Amino acid sequence: MNDIQQKVARCFRNVFPDLRAEDVPRASTASIAAWDSVAQVTLLSAISEECGMEFELDDFEQLVSYALIVDYLESRSTNG
Amino acid sequence: MTLNEALAIINSRQGGRKGGTYFLVCGFEPLHLASFFQARLLERLPADPGVEVQRGTYGDLQGNLEAARLSSAVAAAAVVEWSDVDPRLGLRSSGGWSNHAKADLASSCSASFGRLETAIVALAGRMPVAVAPPSLPLPPIGHTIRAQSSEFELELRRQLADFLRRISRASGVRVLERSVVQTTAPCLDARMELLAGFPYSIPFASALAGALVNVLCQPVPKKGLITDLDGTLWSGIAGECGPDGVAWSLEGHAQAHGLYQQMLGHLAGCGVLLGVCSKNEEATAEAVLARKDLFLDPESFFPICANWGPKSASVTRVLKAWNVAADSVVFVDDNPMELDEVGRIHQGLTCLRFPAKDPAAVWRLLGDLRDLFGKPSLSVEDDLRTASIRAAMPIQQTAAPAGSPDHLTTLQGAVTLAWCAEPADLRPLELINKTNQFNLNGARITEGEWRRLLERRDTLLGVVSYEDKFGPLGKIAVVIGRRDGASVRVSHWVMSCRAFSRRIEHHTIDGLLRHTGAAEVELAFAATGRNQPLLEFLRAVGAGPGPDGSCRISRAGFESSCGALPHQIKTQSGRDAKGK
Repeated sequence: MNDIQQKVARCFRNVFPDLRAEDVPRASTASIAAWDSVAQVTLLSAISEECGMEFELDDFEQLVSYALIVDYLESRSTNG
Repeated sequence: MTLNEALAIINSRQGGRKGGTYFLVCGFEPLHLASFFQARLLERLPADPGVEVQRGTYGDLQGNLEAARLSSAVAAAAVVEWSDVDPRLGLRSSGGWSNHAKADLASSCSASFGRLETAIVALAGRMPVAVAPPSLPLPPIGHTIRAQSSEFELELRRQLADFLRRISRASGVRVLERSVVQTTAPCLDARMELLAGFPYSIPFASALAGALVNVLCQPVPKKGLITDLDGTLWSGIAGECGPDGVAWSLEGHAQAHGLYQQMLGHLAGCGVLLGVCSKNEEATAEAVLARKDLFLDPESFFPICANWGPKSASVTRVLKAWNVAADSVVFVDDNPMELDEVGRIHQGLTCLRFPAKDPAAVWRLLGDLRDLFGKPSLSVEDDLRTASIRAAMPIQQTAAPAGSPDHLTTLQGAVTLAWCAEPADLRPLELINKTNQFNLNGARITEGEWRRLLERRDTLLGVVSYEDKFGPLGKIAVVIGRRDGASVRVSHWVMSCRAFSRRIEHHTIDGLLRHTGAAEVELAFAATGRNQPLLEFLRAVGAGPGPDGSCRISRAGFESSCGALPHQIKTQSGRDAKGK
């Protein structure tokens, strides 16, 4: 796991405490029942705080899985 | 505290036993504020692992206040924003900001504050409520530039100030001082408000939650302050420059000492005990304290220990005169060596240096003293404390030994036993939560638990007051129990150390037996390491803990061991007792 993956995984475990570490990479709104709109705001706020990056309003609708969030953050990190 | 830290704290304590419930009342989506509030409560209440935070529904502050009132929560935090007062003052409304709308806003806000006042006061009747006034900015609808207040904005702020002043008078309401919530980040997060209905930036939400918990979960206030004189209460050494040579005024370049004197005078007015420990000739110290330009009444100081012995020995004398433990007292001195010497001997004493040469540090010290001695409300007993301790000295100096029957009958004492409680009177709760020596088991009660207890029909509550020829002591003892067949089971019993040696504890048990007609009193005694005085009483009346740990006082046993009681008895029950 790289630094971004570790930080995002930590936020997932904080927001979804019942989620097992090995299930984090496959986590999505479809696989986690507790991932509702409030959890989405909490999750992205926690990730924003952890990674020092702000999300746009549209991101809250589109970033609906661990993989999408990591890809998004890595591309923003690469593109500066 | 970051959001991730808050979530981690909450997760680390999940799965434990259920603890106290706190209600977070707001009109917006509580989101991160609820997380921070719960995490700060868990931090502050380590013995309560299962703290839960209950929330209401979005957009209905008024309804949520009522829901909190009907809940089983032990305390509530109510966060009011301008959009709760009128939705047009928030970001999510499109009600318009025309001149006509502004005129309507001013009148609608006034009515809204009135409704909120009624709901908050009603809620505070059941549990303590920390009220956070609006933090978010008003919409930019003044006709002036932002740097200039408009009459419209000033009118709304006047209404707010009036509303806060009114609710602050209600028992149980604690209005948050907004200026203590300080962050470098702005309060408003407009993006999050529009996205999720949560208006605060994360740093502000963290700071606000911390401040709300500080207001709700206040530490037990200290009881007394012992001050040094030379270099602390005044500038200069009185023994060298004479009583008129020391200074505490602006003209004498010693205003820091003058500020400290004014603070001590203020604390004395709030019922804080003040004593003096100084390395000085007694006559010298008294000569300075007799100066007319002193900024506090020298009668506030009792006792005054001025001598050349170790200060720790003088502190011992003061603590003995007050009959309080070191951990209830603050010692202030400008000399670090003296602070160290006293602190080594008196474990638990809060030792603070008076930083005479640093005005900013003196200002911070005064703020720290406010926090150490501050309490949500003052009682009549706060006015009586110093006078009653001073009056106790002649009692101790009479020919007959203190506490002997001969001595007690000369006091012309009267014990009042009130078998009823006024929920707004928090003095009995204060006694339960700060008394250590004559304390049945050390059990403390939160304000919310106290109000629940008073609501129970089977709760038996006795509040004991005392006065004699030396003056009133006020309410000095509390006993709580419930009837169980022919017995009374007592769960809490405390008595102020100011009331020792007067056999008031005997009067209390006698009154309890008479009031209930019970044949036996069963006491939930537990040794705390500090409640030896109560244990000694139990043994004296033949009720020391049995092999199974229980303590029982039978009517017959008590009457045979107690002997004649020395004081006149007044009993109040039902409505008669209220407000007395």
